[in-house]
Amino acid sequence: MMHNLEITVQQRPEVLERVLRVTRHRGFKVTQMQVSINDDASMAVDLWVEAERAIELLSTQLDKLIDVTHCKVMPALSLGQAANS
Amino acid sequence: MRGADAVIKVLAAHGVTTVFGYPGGAIMPIYDALYGSPVEHLLSRHEQGAAFAAVGYARASGKTGVCFATSGPGATNLITSLADALLDSVPLVAITGQVSTSVIGTDAFQEIDVLGMSLSCTKHSFMVTDINDLIPTLYRAFEIAAEGRPGPVLVDIPKDIQIAELEYKTPLQSVADELTPTLTALDAAAALLTQANKPILYVGGGVGMAGAVAHLREFIDVTGIPSVATLKGLGSIAHGTKGYLGMLGMHGGKGANLAVQECDLLIVVGARFDDRVTGRLASFASNAKVLHLDIDAAELGKLRQPDVAIAAELRQVLPALTDAVKGKMAISQWQAEVEDLSRKHQWNYQHPGDLIYAPAMLRRLANKLPEDSVVACDVGQHQMWVAQHMWFRRPEDHLSSAGLGTMGFGLPAAIGAQVARPDATVVTVSGDGSFMMNVQELTTIKRRKLPVKILLIDNQKLGMVKQWQQLFFEERYSETDLSDNPNFVLMASAFDIPGRTINHADQVEQALDEMLNSSGPYMLHVAIDDAFNVWPLVPPGASNSDMMDQMEKQT
Repeated sequence: MMHNLEITVQQRPEVLERVLRVTRHRGFKVTQMQVSINDDASMAVDLWVEAERAIELLSTQLDKLIDVTHCKVMPALSLGQAANS
Repeated sequence: MRGADAVIKVLAAHGVTTVFGYPGGAIMPIYDALYGSPVEHLLSRHEQGAAFAAVGYARASGKTGVCFATSGPGATNLITSLADALLDSVPLVAITGQVSTSVIGTDAFQEIDVLGMSLSCTKHSFMVTDINDLIPTLYRAFEIAAEGRPGPVLVDIPKDIQIAELEYKTPLQSVADELTPTLTALDAAAALLTQANKPILYVGGGVGMAGAVAHLREFIDVTGIPSVATLKGLGSIAHGTKGYLGMLGMHGGKGANLAVQECDLLIVVGARFDDRVTGRLASFASNAKVLHLDIDAAELGKLRQPDVAIAAELRQVLPALTDAVKGKMAISQWQAEVEDLSRKHQWNYQHPGDLIYAPAMLRRLANKLPEDSVVACDVGQHQMWVAQHMWFRRPEDHLSSAGLGTMGFGLPAAIGAQVARPDATVVTVSGDGSFMMNVQELTTIKRRKLPVKILLIDNQKLGMVKQWQQLFFEERYSETDLSDNPNFVLMASAFDIPGRTINHADQVEQALDEMLNSSGPYMLHVAIDDAFNVWPLVPPGASNSDMMDQMEKQT
């Protein structure tokens, strides 16, 4: 099952490692990721992951990271829509 | 002042009186600032020992523990203790020296990417690369370590930052909002409680960490709901409380496990459905609804879907629920059933013969300990016997490496506990395997003349692994024979720690008294037979309903 997370993080050199480490360790495979730097010392991470597990097992863990200021599970799309997004 | 002086000043401002650590090249300016400062430092003989002492200090006192280590090997030696603190939610601030910023990334002497290593074993971590960030970062580290679900925080400080000049300014502190339960959630929880016929409380370490022991006891007092505890939850419920069945799980009491299997409402308080608690998860309390209360939202629904979950301060949730259900619980039939289970599955300490029966000895020890006492144990069979057979007045009195299960935890944790509570009787209960894992810390006891009592239960085996080999690996005893152990009492004497060995049941009473009445440190070395195993036991992969006990094993 594919999931999309909309994440905002603080700009820190290791912040992407934190997000990716938690994603891997909690059993989710990254299929797509886009990162953009905002003007306010934050970064936007658009993360697509694939797993059999419920997405809340990842989103709640990411939300716990101190440098993650926002983490939202986006409504599920069909695989076709996901590929076109 | 220098950055290093600011580090010490921030510690003092946070009420830190003792730091545990070990110096080295990249942290020398901080040790220079420490010299002659009001902050005391206790030198360990290995950084893992320093960090475990800080863990013991934190767990015995409820305050945040602090440890220092240098870059490279100093920092890597901290990792096990940080992981231990993460899994047991212990507030800890670890400060490591790092090579200067100009050479970071060049494989400089004693350089390793500590920030990178810290990601999986801390609640949060920082590397300070700008002197202006130093003080705010340290303040933030203390906040993060203690707020919400506590945990370890590492601050890596390069040497050039330690010697850079700055003007000391106290940063503005943010006060984190307490997580308050919503009325809707409380109503739903109260409804579950009042509708339940067979409710039981499954109490974890979160209650003690939240300072909610009194609130929990009041809830139990008012509702009369029966209860069980996890390894970290021991001490939260007063010994002798009606309906309290002790520890549940793999080595829990049969009464505790059967009551949980039988319940129709499982009230999970500051606990997380660890596999050592649940056995086969699918058959754990499978007919029960679940009410899960925890400060950490990520624990709710992680392993078991709750019917109602509240992520909020237990100090707020428990009194609110107490008020909501006061006088509305009708569970007298269930209480009687639990009493029956409790009576039926009491421990039996009658053990005829000359051999020392460790469970009976530990029960005696618990009964002898004074009001102000701490027991720090290691990991293995003795740890389970402590959990099963000793009793504790408060969770702060029982220090056990629960989540990570780290052998070598007990001795340094006892050192930290003794520093935090100098008037307490501190006993480390260890095994012959675990004891050797941080045995260098005997020097720390000698250095500070700490009156730590060491009860070393010696079966000349790596006992818990041996037990599993016996039961589940066809008695193929691979590398679990420790009969080449050193002479422990002779070794202790080299550190000015007196002691004796006992091996007969009739010596136990007098030997425990001698240990507890000694004014300084003492080692009581107890030789036991390696045939004793930990019972009962839920075999791996089995349901908690299917516990093995000694009788079944013998047939």
